[in-house]
Amino acid sequence: MSLSHFQSEFEKLINRDNFPEKIHSQRQEAFSKFLNTGIPTQKWEDWQFTNLTRIAKGKYRICETQDVPNNEREFPSFKMEGVNTIVIYNGHYQEKLSSIPSGVQILSGLDYLERKNWENNNPENSPFDLLNTAFMDSGVSIVVEPGTDLETPIRMLFISSGKEPIMTSPRVHVDLGESSSATFVEHHADNSESFFQNGSVFISLEDYAQLDHIRIQSNSEKTANMGNLHIEQNCNSRYTFFQFAHGAELGRLNIHANLRGEGADCSLNGLALSNGNQHLDNHVITDHQVPNCTSTQNFKSVLQDNSSGVFNGRTIVRKDAQKTDSSQSNKNLLLSKSALMNSNPQLEIYADDVKCAHGSTTGALDDDALFYIRSRGLDILAAKTVLIRGFATELLESVKHDGIRYLLTDRFDAWLSENTAS
Amino acid sequence: MLDIQNLHARVEDKPILKGINLAIKSGEMHAVMGRNGSGKSTLSNVITGREGFTVTQGDVNYKGESILDWSPEDRALAGIFMSFQYPIVIPGVNNTYFLKAALNAKRKHEGEKELDAAGFLKLIKQKLAELDMDTTYLQRGVNEGFSGGEKKRNEILQMLTLQPDLAILDETDSGLDIDALKIIAEGVNQFRNVDRSLLVITHYQRLLKYIKPDVVHVLIDGQIVRSGGKELALELEEKGYNWLES
Repeated sequence: MSLSHFQSEFEKLINRDNFPEKIHSQRQEAFSKFLNTGIPTQKWEDWQFTNLTRIAKGKYRICETQDVPNNEREFPSFKMEGVNTIVIYNGHYQEKLSSIPSGVQILSGLDYLERKNWENNNPENSPFDLLNTAFMDSGVSIVVEPGTDLETPIRMLFISSGKEPIMTSPRVHVDLGESSSATFVEHHADNSESFFQNGSVFISLEDYAQLDHIRIQSNSEKTANMGNLHIEQNCNSRYTFFQFAHGAELGRLNIHANLRGEGADCSLNGLALSNGNQHLDNHVITDHQVPNCTSTQNFKSVLQDNSSGVFNGRTIVRKDAQKTDSSQSNKNLLLSKSALMNSNPQLEIYADDVKCAHGSTTGALDDDALFYIRSRGLDILAAKTVLIRGFATELLESVKHDGIRYLLTDRFDAWLSENTAS
Repeated sequence: MLDIQNLHARVEDKPILKGINLAIKSGEMHAVMGRNGSGKSTLSNVITGREGFTVTQGDVNYKGESILDWSPEDRALAGIFMSFQYPIVIPGVNNTYFLKAALNAKRKHEGEKELDAAGFLKLIKQKLAELDMDTTYLQRGVNEGFSGGEKKRNEILQMLTLQPDLAILDETDSGLDIDALKIIAEGVNQFRNVDRSLLVITHYQRLLKYIKPDVVHVLIDGQIVRSGGKELALELEEKGYNWLES
């Protein structure tokens, strides 16, 4: 597979980069590693069910200044009540469309790295993290000072729009100081006809910090959305993640959570709705490194038409991580005979005093339940809707913020009415 | 109300019903008694339109129309209700939502105005009280975590709310303690009137102590071998089914 296209885009980026030299060397290092690994093929164990041809052959180009909207667009369809929104449009921060919250520091990638003495997080476990480091172009970072409770959620709205085959590589850091709390929403949306987003998000929670993180993946059906999410949790921190994914032709999220402080609690959840030829993929690693932590993985998919999905969940309990309490669940609903789900929940336990549970079910709508509902006078469409809604409710209801939950419930209902008609 | 003529039905390749004749008039309550495997549940499933039961001969007429080609929901909207022997758990769907949707589907079908949340709550609270059920029921998932008795009570609650013209109680008495049985029987007795018909399918005559059928039928191997008054139930209780077998 030729990576020459990425090579020429990389040279273009380096030549116009307004980041300091220090970043150049990091970019170059990451890019040369990426050239060595290449884009994963389906021979790689972690990628065996993910077809990346469209990314490899996509001939995406890095974003240019002309990719921003000519006139200020309004985004009524992305309205969300009761949140502050930072808008990033085709890789460009849109100051005028954004509302910056108070009580928190919002930093550009440059400012953040400067503050960190140019020490970058360079996870080496995935080619797409390397690619992100090489190309990082947008995204902002959120720093919440110790003891701050941020009541209003902060949303980053990533808009991908237009006909151009653009590649963006947002890089986001969310750092919560000791005993602080916040809600962070990543929202990916709009109407692009060809787009590849490869975002890396780094979450760092100090002792007793609490973060609710919601990721809404509503990209257009011609988009490839690769998400790389890294979480570091210290003592007694609590992290709750929920992804609502119904967009993109290829959507994959790689989550890696490290529980490295005792008493940390990590809850990772996802609801994926796919139709047509969509492929939605979740690869989730929860790594218990110390004793007395709790974690859950709860992922559900509803698949229509020829769509496909993957759940690959791994919970690792290290030798020292005694008294770990963890559960892992993956449930999938196939609405069509040609839909395909690969589910692989795994536990890797090296400690001996732990409580771990896992389970996975995949099946069609239950005929007995459909009959029961119809026997009460609801037609078959309504019966299906009732069952699918019941399947998803637990996850949708877990969203605490009203504005976000209303938006997600709306999207869910819209998806249901489009996908239960036949 | 219900007129079943020479009904033959099979499940997969196995003939289960072998010529049932049964007519229930408005205001009547009939009981069908029989051992496990005699075809009792097949009969109720055929009347309500469950998939997997193939009618090979005969007909089922309801209010003068053959309903065998009707969908389960059309039968329900026309006024047929079955209290399930094994009520289905629907996780994540709460009782309020489900029952309100069912009631409003029926009201809409009958050209009545749909009930809003407040109107429904008022109605359902009254029905809950009649069946000695807790209002926490309203927030729970349909039959989710319900005991056997709670599930059966929920079936009767649905019946009292939906107000069908023909109610089939399929083994409603099984799994109930005596107190729950009395409450349910009371609910059923209140439900009875001259315009409604009931078909009670049961194994034992236990329930029939509290609700008195007009006619009792004995089903053996897919056929009604004897019909009689309520004293037939007592006779069965005493003698078992063997004396009726040929």
